[in-house]
Amino acid sequence: MQREVLLTGIGGQGIQLATALLAAAAVAEGRHAMYFGSYGGMMRGGNSDTTLVLGDDPIDSPPTIGSAWSALVLHPAHAGGVYPRLHDDGLLVLNTSLCDPVGTPAIGRLVPIPASELAASSGNASAVTMIALGAYAAATAIVDLDTLLATAAEVLPPYRRQHAESIRAALRMGHAHAGPALRAWPVCA
Amino acid sequence: MKTTGPRPPVLPGSAAIGEAMIAAGCRFFAGYPMTPFTEVLEHMAARLPEVGGVCVNAESELEAVGMAWGAAATGTPAATGSTGQGLSLMQESLAEIVYARLPLVVLNMARAQGDYFQATRGGGHGDYRHLVLAPCDVREAVELTQYAFHLAEFWRSPVLVMGDYYLAHTHVSVDVRPRDFGPLPARDWALDGSTGGTGAAKLVSPLSDRKQRHAGDRTDASYDLAEFYTRHGGAMERMVAETEPRAETGFLADAEVVVVAYGTPALYVRQAVRDLREQGLRVGYVRPITLVPFPSEIVRAAASGARVVAVYENSGGQMVDDVRLAVLGAAPVRFIGRLSLDSSGFGIAPDLEVGAMRRRIEAAFGPAGDASAWTPQAHGRSAGGARRAADPR
Repeated sequence: MQREVLLTGIGGQGIQLATALLAAAAVAEGRHAMYFGSYGGMMRGGNSDTTLVLGDDPIDSPPTIGSAWSALVLHPAHAGGVYPRLHDDGLLVLNTSLCDPVGTPAIGRLVPIPASELAASSGNASAVTMIALGAYAAATAIVDLDTLLATAAEVLPPYRRQHAESIRAALRMGHAHAGPALRAWPVCA
Repeated sequence: MKTTGPRPPVLPGSAAIGEAMIAAGCRFFAGYPMTPFTEVLEHMAARLPEVGGVCVNAESELEAVGMAWGAAATGTPAATGSTGQGLSLMQESLAEIVYARLPLVVLNMARAQGDYFQATRGGGHGDYRHLVLAPCDVREAVELTQYAFHLAEFWRSPVLVMGDYYLAHTHVSVDVRPRDFGPLPARDWALDGSTGGTGAAKLVSPLSDRKQRHAGDRTDASYDLAEFYTRHGGAMERMVAETEPRAETGFLADAEVVVVAYGTPALYVRQAVRDLREQGLRVGYVRPITLVPFPSEIVRAAASGARVVAVYENSGGQMVDDVRLAVLGAAPVRFIGRLSLDSSGFGIAPDLEVGAMRRRIEAAFGPAGDASAWTPQAHGRSAGGARRAADPR
């Protein structure tokens, strides 16, 4: 069993860190993970994209993939490269603060979440993708929220560990915002 | 069903390569930043001091390779690297280090695959060769980086490890613990100060490994380069001949078309071959893991039953020469790659996409005219005299 996740946004939204957290949490739950990150040369505002593959067996997929089961779209700038790759039965977490649901592909489930507005209202504008990740975890049950919370600190460098608690708050906020889960793993152990 | 038990931490390829170097005993690293080599340098700068090593951000690649040369001469397991551009600057020293018979691991975190000739033929002077390894993913990079330190020490020679942006930026849970590749000879050549003042000081030099006064009954004061280069050439010859050529193969038994590719692009080829097999096409692949020595016997055996050998490289075609030399006319060899870069020159290659790779391989099944849709000529980069005549450039 293998599940693919595409994340797209712009620099500063936390795409790379959120992907690292989801991968680390999946690994902590005993699964295999591989992800590939790419980003523009600027610190903020440039493209920031990742491809994450989770599975029960070691992943030997190429770093980038032609189709995916799910996606988190945080900014519309590069979403055009993600939408056509989603499976018909796939799942899309969409940051409706910046992205119009009109024009998203007809897929299994759309999880709209105003992540940028929620982040701003929480006083942590850079928590956008962590909020979306909380929603994604709730919508897919691909990892437990508790695992994400427990893993949050380990993906931060030591000099950023003071932000672990605000990341946990963002994950909880997103998790509470999503509806019932479309299970990622049809047969969960 | 998910499995149980903890896994090693998820690391980016750049850090995994760095950890593999440290696990292999590397205690000196020098380099000059250039993406995607920068990520490795950053990791070594953070980690080497923690294990008692030294990492230097040098003034340029010229100084970096010089520092690594000096460290290696003392018997310290050392490494350097860059992208192909930086390695161009290092070629003179690399040639001299081969002649000085020093173990050194050199990383080329390359941009696309245009450095195959640089890696396997070398841009330095003289009659030299060194080993070249080409991992396709992070796990293999960890294995081969450690193996490179073993080979470098075993043969007293630089060993080049090829990587790229994909390898540096792919994160995976990977075990970086030390591997055991067998016993190594003593470092009795190292300039470790142990023979200082004894009258038996050692010499490490690209000109000789014996001091001039040991040059037999020669009356002049120069080195005997003929003796040294001949003896050294024999050691290089043994190194290339006795190092096992390695390649991954798949679906070769009844393959009409055999695709040859190395490094990251080979992952896309492998996936495309699996997809095409599911469609019933008789296609297989060979992925060279050692570029020097090139796995010629494996390629030749794969070609013996094939109608076409197709070569994919993210370049205008360089390894294709070695494939042709291996196949020796047993089957037609068609080049199905081309250079593919994003605007940065080092990031995502638009052509590295499984669907596009499938179409290239499918074209190789057709007559040569169909496959040539993917040649550089068809993309207008080298269309021969007629085009040049019509193009004032």
